[in-house]
Amino acid sequence: MDELSFTSVGIDIGTSTTKLIVSRLRLGRVSGAFHLPRYEITERELRYASPIYSTPLLSRDEIDMDEVARILRQEYDLIGLSLSEVKSGAVIITGETATKTNARRVVHYLAERSGDFVVAAAGADLEGLLAGKGSGAEQRSRETPGVVANVDIGGGTANVAYFREGRAIGTVTFHVGGRLIRLDEQGCVISVSPHVQGWLPERGLSLTAGRKTTTEQLEAIASAMCGDMLAYLAGEAVDPSFCHLIAGSPPAGPLPEIDELMISGGISTLMANPEVPDTMAAIARYGDIGPLLASFLRRQADKWPFRIVTSSQTVRATVIGAGMQSVEISGSTVHIDPSVLPLRNLPVLHLEYTGMPVEDWSRTADDAMLEAARYALPGAEAPCAIALGGEVIHSYAALQRVARTLLDTYAAHFSGASIMVVVCDHDMAKALGQALSIRCGKRLSIVCIDQIRVERGDYIDIGEPLPGYLVPVVIKTLAFS
Amino acid sequence: MGDREKLESLMKSTPARIGVGRAGVRPLTHTMLQFRKDHAAAVDAVYGEVDESILRQLGLFTVETCYGNKETYLKRPDLGRIITDEGMEVIRERCVKQPQIQIVVSDGLSADAITANILDVYPALLDSLRVHDLNPGTSFYVKGGRVACMDHIGEVLQPDALVLLIGERPGLVTARSMSAYMCYKPRKGTIESDRNVISNIHPGGTPPLEAAAHIGTMLRGMLERQTSGTNFY
Repeated sequence: MDELSFTSVGIDIGTSTTKLIVSRLRLGRVSGAFHLPRYEITERELRYASPIYSTPLLSRDEIDMDEVARILRQEYDLIGLSLSEVKSGAVIITGETATKTNARRVVHYLAERSGDFVVAAAGADLEGLLAGKGSGAEQRSRETPGVVANVDIGGGTANVAYFREGRAIGTVTFHVGGRLIRLDEQGCVISVSPHVQGWLPERGLSLTAGRKTTTEQLEAIASAMCGDMLAYLAGEAVDPSFCHLIAGSPPAGPLPEIDELMISGGISTLMANPEVPDTMAAIARYGDIGPLLASFLRRQADKWPFRIVTSSQTVRATVIGAGMQSVEISGSTVHIDPSVLPLRNLPVLHLEYTGMPVEDWSRTADDAMLEAARYALPGAEAPCAIALGGEVIHSYAALQRVARTLLDTYAAHFSGASIMVVVCDHDMAKALGQALSIRCGKRLSIVCIDQIRVERGDYIDIGEPLPGYLVPVVIKTLAFS
Repeated sequence: MGDREKLESLMKSTPARIGVGRAGVRPLTHTMLQFRKDHAAAVDAVYGEVDESILRQLGLFTVETCYGNKETYLKRPDLGRIITDEGMEVIRERCVKQPQIQIVVSDGLSADAITANILDVYPALLDSLRVHDLNPGTSFYVKGGRVACMDHIGEVLQPDALVLLIGERPGLVTARSMSAYMCYKPRKGTIESDRNVISNIHPGGTPPLEAAAHIGTMLRGMLERQTSGTNFY
């Protein structure tokens, strides 16, 4: 196998829109004939992008799962895509949609019915990262010095991801989006999201659902929303009321200083329109304040210390990220029992190997397993994935000690497990996997892979092996130190 | 990225001697000494010998090729491909005939490569064979060996496949790099393109344990497809 390609899909169910993309990922051998085989994804090609559908809702709090499933089925039929062809991808539920009562059920339901190894994903951090990858901000950060941030603004949230030299270094999410205030064409306010309701009075602004509003009122709101968000991103003093619009808890440390800000998402599409929406009909043409937000973002763009650019993948940045950038591949020298794959949603247990005396390291391993046992999936066949970082192991004796310690501590804390999953930082998965396999006999199925970097707090999905014996892997939610 | 950062990232990407500075048109004293030291290590590796205790520890007996001495060894590669008559006698006497896998270890051009890596690679290789349901015959050590000594040994022992762990020609980056040559049914007349190799095995290159673990997979593939070399890819 010198070259191989596979199909990957991305499905994004957002606050206001739902879309699908199909891509073709190509794997190529990047190591010479005299070296251990090593493959990488050498090309990612976008093959199909669906129309943008309105996200079907049953009520304000519930997604119409059957309708979403019907749309996807229709799209698959239209392009003649069969489920077994789809070897990877991700369904992501984004923005405000993620807070719907059946969001969790929908995303898992769709993931299981979209292909062989399509993962369920959610979470503002991950959403921001996928958008930043899909928009091209990650790639841009490899080509330009400094920090490139991507802000993906859609209907419900603005997800920001920071990249430096192609590495994600942080995320933050705001309750800033078009659909947070819904209007009819006469300027009557249909709804105001709770976060915006909390923010408005403190910012000295007001808006009441059910009442008529004016263009001036809306302009003041949109201007403050955009201005405060950009000021916050620029690290400038910002009105204290802005804390209402920061999703989750505000980032602990200072955010990285941005050199270039890329804007993607539905709002960035609207930014291309130079006309200022000055009548209520123009403002409310999509039934929300999206056009007004876009207009203010465009007008305020040159006030800040960073360059602002719009992404070439505007409205589809997240779905492209989910379809084309979510999957990674493991090293080719790995040890896996293919019969237990795929494995989904394994919480990551972090363990550093250091050259310390074996008794001490065994205590470290024991502590890590104990901690993991608290959040691991109780009674599961594979309760967690052990991420083994730290020093590279070159000695056979040390390898045996590590294998023994891992098996002993694993057995002590996860007595019901029948599968052990190890993800090595260094290129040693095959050797370690074989050592584990020989030691444990038939007691455990071993899945030991490498060339994958996982962090504390991540979840990992591992797919069935591709020819060449490597496996597709999707890592979900990232914690930043 | 500033020039300094660019240079540092280039230096990190290669073990080659770049960004070492200069004094006029000449290298710095430190650079010069490092170069002489690395060169000396390379020479020592060629003229060195594998520690007897290591071979004993692994239970390997020793046979020699017709190389005679190191000077001749360097000038006459052909002699390093033939095991002495006495050596062949010992091999016939002590080795399992027609094994599935024959493992041979040889100093080749770097005894240091064997000394540095074999204690880790050999047991990991046995594990790898076990995981892949492969049975090794009786392993031994060849002093003064060249890669093609595989053919002479193959002719006599008739293994299904043979793996030779042999010291590589030392370079200035490392003098302790080992190769694993593999061949399906090596016999008299086998040509170079019939062999596969995993090269550059040392802690700074191809990870030794991972290389050992992968050899089993390659040998298993050779037996299944009954071929090796350029056909095997």
